[in-house]
Amino acid sequence: MRPFRQVLIVCRKELRDSLRDRRALFPIALAVLLYPALIAMIMTRIASRQREANDITIPVVGRENAPALVDWLSQQSGVHIVDGPEDAEKTVRDGTQSVILIIPKDFAVKFRDSRPAPVKIVEDSSRDGERAKVERVKRLLSGYSNEIGSLRLVARGISPVVAAAVEVQDIEVSSAQQRAATTLAFIPMMVLIAAFTGGMQIATDSTAGERERGSLEPLLVNPAPRAAIVSGKWAAAALLSIATVSLTTILAVVEMRTLPLAELGIRFRFGAEQLASMLAVLVPMCPFIAALQAYIATFARSFKEAQSYMGALMLVPMIPAIAGTMYSFNAQTWMYPVPMFGHYMLLTGIIGGRTISPWSYVANAVVSLVLAGVLVAAMARLFRNERIIFGR
Amino acid sequence: MIRVEGLQKRFGDVTAVDAVSFAAENGRVTALLGPNGAGKTTTLRMIYAVMKPDSGRVQIDDVDAVGDPQGAQARLGVLPDGFGLYPRLTAREHIHYFGELHGISGARLEERTTQLLKLLDMTAIADRRAAGFSHGERTKVALARALVHNPQNVLLDEPTNGLDVMSTRAVREIIRRLRDEGTCVLFSSHVMQEVSAVSDRIIVIAGGRLVAQGTADELLQRAGRESLEDAFLALAGLEAGSH
Repeated sequence: MRPFRQVLIVCRKELRDSLRDRRALFPIALAVLLYPALIAMIMTRIASRQREANDITIPVVGRENAPALVDWLSQQSGVHIVDGPEDAEKTVRDGTQSVILIIPKDFAVKFRDSRPAPVKIVEDSSRDGERAKVERVKRLLSGYSNEIGSLRLVARGISPVVAAAVEVQDIEVSSAQQRAATTLAFIPMMVLIAAFTGGMQIATDSTAGERERGSLEPLLVNPAPRAAIVSGKWAAAALLSIATVSLTTILAVVEMRTLPLAELGIRFRFGAEQLASMLAVLVPMCPFIAALQAYIATFARSFKEAQSYMGALMLVPMIPAIAGTMYSFNAQTWMYPVPMFGHYMLLTGIIGGRTISPWSYVANAVVSLVLAGVLVAAMARLFRNERIIFGR
Repeated sequence: MIRVEGLQKRFGDVTAVDAVSFAAENGRVTALLGPNGAGKTTTLRMIYAVMKPDSGRVQIDDVDAVGDPQGAQARLGVLPDGFGLYPRLTAREHIHYFGELHGISGARLEERTTQLLKLLDMTAIADRRAAGFSHGERTKVALARALVHNPQNVLLDEPTNGLDVMSTRAVREIIRRLRDEGTCVLFSSHVMQEVSAVSDRIIVIAGGRLVAQGTADELLQRAGRESLEDAFLALAGLEAGSH
């Protein structure tokens, strides 16, 4: 009973101590607030670009050369035609306009003679964000071209159907939708990083930091089993990690509900069920991460060294995300219990709206918790090692 | 009381403590006197059970410190060498933390804390964070948290090291007070005046070995010297030309 109380005493002290450390809380605040804010910004930008593309103003140079085309364009929904500037290329290059249509003088003559009439589109393809707009203009022009072409064939007594050798049915996954999906795929990595950020401070400060300050020896003079002291430190780190991850996840889900996802072609709705599923994956993961961080930090000869290990450890949650984009692997049952990898698969599965067997959650959680226990026991052994305690 | 028999500790090829035996009685102040690197800190660390001796016995009252380190630690109050505080905790929180780890809580803990704050004249800094404390204030906090559970045996490793005159006096005052209350006090020092000022019994160690023990007078007699400092140098084998 007494050792259990001692675990709570150490845990409470470490939490109180670290919550007073403003400098250490900064990365946690960053993980909780900045990453979701970044996602919100990216998503709203993509959505607003999408809207811009639907509601488009096209500057036209030489509109008097093709009044019929200009009339047709301005009849299309959401299209406004304005007079183009003198130096079209310069205007696009410096970003004042994203796309300008130039109708050369010979358009009318060639059009009348049923020869391909030239139209120039001035665009800057290096500017990624304007692509939707440019593509809309190109689609409009090819629509016009098809319409006139068909009329000409009809005038010559030929069915326009003959001219269409292949009928392309466009199942469109527009680039905006892709980018929105990529941004959503960022969420699992974001919450995994939040878990590492949350545990980091206590894991280093209460081990390598405690020894460097010289407060470890006085602490170990108290009649408490090393396992109790180590468990208290680990529990504190795990709790802060859980708090960080929960806040980040809640914020991310709330955000997904408020963002115009439908506008981006993502029909999936985020709700309480997704939040609960994500937390079911993340909460059992935090004790494992905290144990891993504390164990590694105990090995470090100094606080600085421990911090640099934590930085390297931060790359671990990025590995499955990077691997996921390089090789598009399918979720298989054996992957779920693998730490980090399985967590990433479960989270992407939840966000992607896939149905996952409850056993995958259980297997994943059990492996995480067992590993956490093993690491804490190993850490208690380190705390009995004189070379570790006195930093020889 | 503290009893040490045939204590031995090696670090690699170096024997830091070699066959050290002595006893520190209740109601007495026993000093561990020796030059830097003599093995004082290692000896104390084995007594307060954060280091395991390679051989030898350590007995705290009737508890074997090697076999039951926590049982021994419950009977000890320790001011380790180069102790550190938690910069973001207040003086009072330091005392509470260690008190709770010793199983004291509630009104009893509050009462004992107030008592220690008064005893060590640190009521003014009780609720300030340790980050800005002077060396004297830090020592007081470390002493208070070491004494929170009213230990029967107190170990102090170089307690007055680096302290000014006022703080040194305060520490001596505490040591005398503890002795008068019947506590067994064992402290280490390499400073002669320190040892002669407060200790009833002196144990001289050098090179990891116990070279002499007794009262100040006995040591003077044994070494055949006038001053304690000369006696210490002679006993420790540090006199010019003795090598």
